[in-house]
Amino acid sequence: NEELWVQSVLEMPKRRDILAIVLIVLPWTLLITVWHQSTIAPLLAVHKDDGGDSRRDLAAGLDSKEYCLSDRDIVEVVRTEYVYTRPPPWSDTLPTIHVITPTYSRPVQKAELTRLANTLLHVPNLHWILVEDSQRRTPLITRLLRDTGLNYTHLNVETPRNYKLRGDMRDPRIPRGTMQRNLALRWLRETFNKNNSQPGIVYFADDDNTYSLELFEEMRSTRKVSVWPVAFVGGLRYESPKVNAAGKVYGWKTVFDPHRPFAIDMAGFAVNLRLILQRSQAYFKLRGVKGGYQESSLLRELVTLNDLEPKAANCTKILVWHTRTEKPVLVNEGKKGFTDPNVEI
Amino acid sequence: PPPRRPEAALPTIYAITPTYSRPVQKAELTRLANTFRQVARLHWILVEDAAARSELVSRFVAGAGLPCTHLHVPTPRRYKRPGLPRATEQRNAGLAWLRQRHQHLPPPQPGVLFFADDDNTYSLELFQEMRTTRKVSVWPVGLVGGRRYERPVVENGKVVGWYTGWRADRPFAIDMAGFAVSLQVILSHPKAVFKRRGSQPGMQESDFLKQITTVEELEPKANNCTKVLVWHTRTEKVNLANEPKYHLDTVSIEV
Repeated sequence: NEELWVQSVLEMPKRRDILAIVLIVLPWTLLITVWHQSTIAPLLAVHKDDGGDSRRDLAAGLDSKEYCLSDRDIVEVVRTEYVYTRPPPWSDTLPTIHVITPTYSRPVQKAELTRLANTLLHVPNLHWILVEDSQRRTPLITRLLRDTGLNYTHLNVETPRNYKLRGDMRDPRIPRGTMQRNLALRWLRETFNKNNSQPGIVYFADDDNTYSLELFEEMRSTRKVSVWPVAFVGGLRYESPKVNAAGKVYGWKTVFDPHRPFAIDMAGFAVNLRLILQRSQAYFKLRGVKGGYQESSLLRELVTLNDLEPKAANCTKILVWHTRTEKPVLVNEGKKGFTDPNVEI
Repeated sequence: PPPRRPEAALPTIYAITPTYSRPVQKAELTRLANTFRQVARLHWILVEDAAARSELVSRFVAGAGLPCTHLHVPTPRRYKRPGLPRATEQRNAGLAWLRQRHQHLPPPQPGVLFFADDDNTYSLELFQEMRTTRKVSVWPVGLVGGRRYERPVVENGKVVGWYTGWRADRPFAIDMAGFAVSLQVILSHPKAVFKRRGSQPGMQESDFLKQITTVEELEPKANNCTKVLVWHTRTEKVNLANEPKYHLDTVSIEV
């Protein structure tokens, strides 16, 4: 009995000590956990992030607790060393990316080129070749290019009109942008010597697509022709090259005519400049090209399937989207135009 | 180029962007981020129309490359009819977050906020213009109101009317993309929110601005409202006609 009593006396202080330790340590643990999770901002009214929120009726003007604020809001601190030089300084070691963009005049043109330029301004060693479908280089584009600060070349060639149809219509047998892309290819061949070792990559970027910055870094290592998936083409979420275990392209994951030599969209490949200069007669076919075969008409003169280099994690990531912009409703302009034409849009 | 002020002195620009899930969402956010990343001291407040944060947007925010706050609030189903104003709850959530965040911080906190829909197009010059907003500033918007552009009419540096294609009789006949508000004004008008009750279609902007300013107070930007620095572009709905209903792909790729 005595032993048991001594034992229990010895144990009791231990339990009490443990309880005391727990009561002291626990608040500190909680504090550190919460401090670790929270941001610089003071503790906000915490709301549990559950499905119940969707049933709650959000009337206007309620106080902020009704909104799904949680202490896990992602707030990233500005790195104070961020330098806003646009574009980035030229590097002697990076291959130049020559981006060829055909463009034509319509109400959304300046908007499209503005947001494309905002993307391109991030990319080091980028040379923008903008080719207008016009008789003359327009003041709008001249001003826009100058104001961006980008390294650019401004070209123009007018797709012939089909006067037999309507005075306004371009020749429908020539796909849009073809003559402009070919002019840019010719300019590259006239400007760069194929024996010159200036490394470069050529990419065709339409002015209404959306490009991630990662895409440009993927294409920079192109040796001959590199390929990757493109979103929103061919009636699909994306089209993609088929890549086997050996990392080689062996086919095309498309619904629309997957048996094309190169069942790929214009935005889905890049070509090493050296190859463009070597195969100096390779151009996009101007006429008699079936829908969807434009890209093949050029690529078949440059590479075989076996030579293609898959990018974007063996063609499993989407880095470019074939977005299209709605034609704006300008019904209130009327026949003669209502707004001041001197105000540039 | 204008002289560069030290970055600490620059007022922060808060961009409140409501967003919702659809095929082009990631593309829109990507190109918007590419623009916003060019702007010094811009804090992006992204508000999903959703009951919970989506994986897509969460992943996107983690790699966005600029300071970003990721919120979410679902629009009640009865407000999702065509013709009713959209993104009301999401914009109000952005305002609520700003107000709550700043209530504990000492004034003054120089800042400007504007509402940036995820499919519009913004020139870099626009941000320079809005950064000097003292109370509420306004400017033209391209491709809106059935016209090439709409704009405030300015005389002697003051807004005297509205050059608009739709209901010019509104107190503030301006698009969501056509104005910015100083943080100070937002904080000093804690009850100013976008309303649902009693709000007619197309009156969202007007009903909101009525609560915080007067036409006389407005500051015209963009060369007395003669330059278009923002465009109300809209992206076409994507054609997914060839997506299979059965025999889906073996991998799941985010678009």
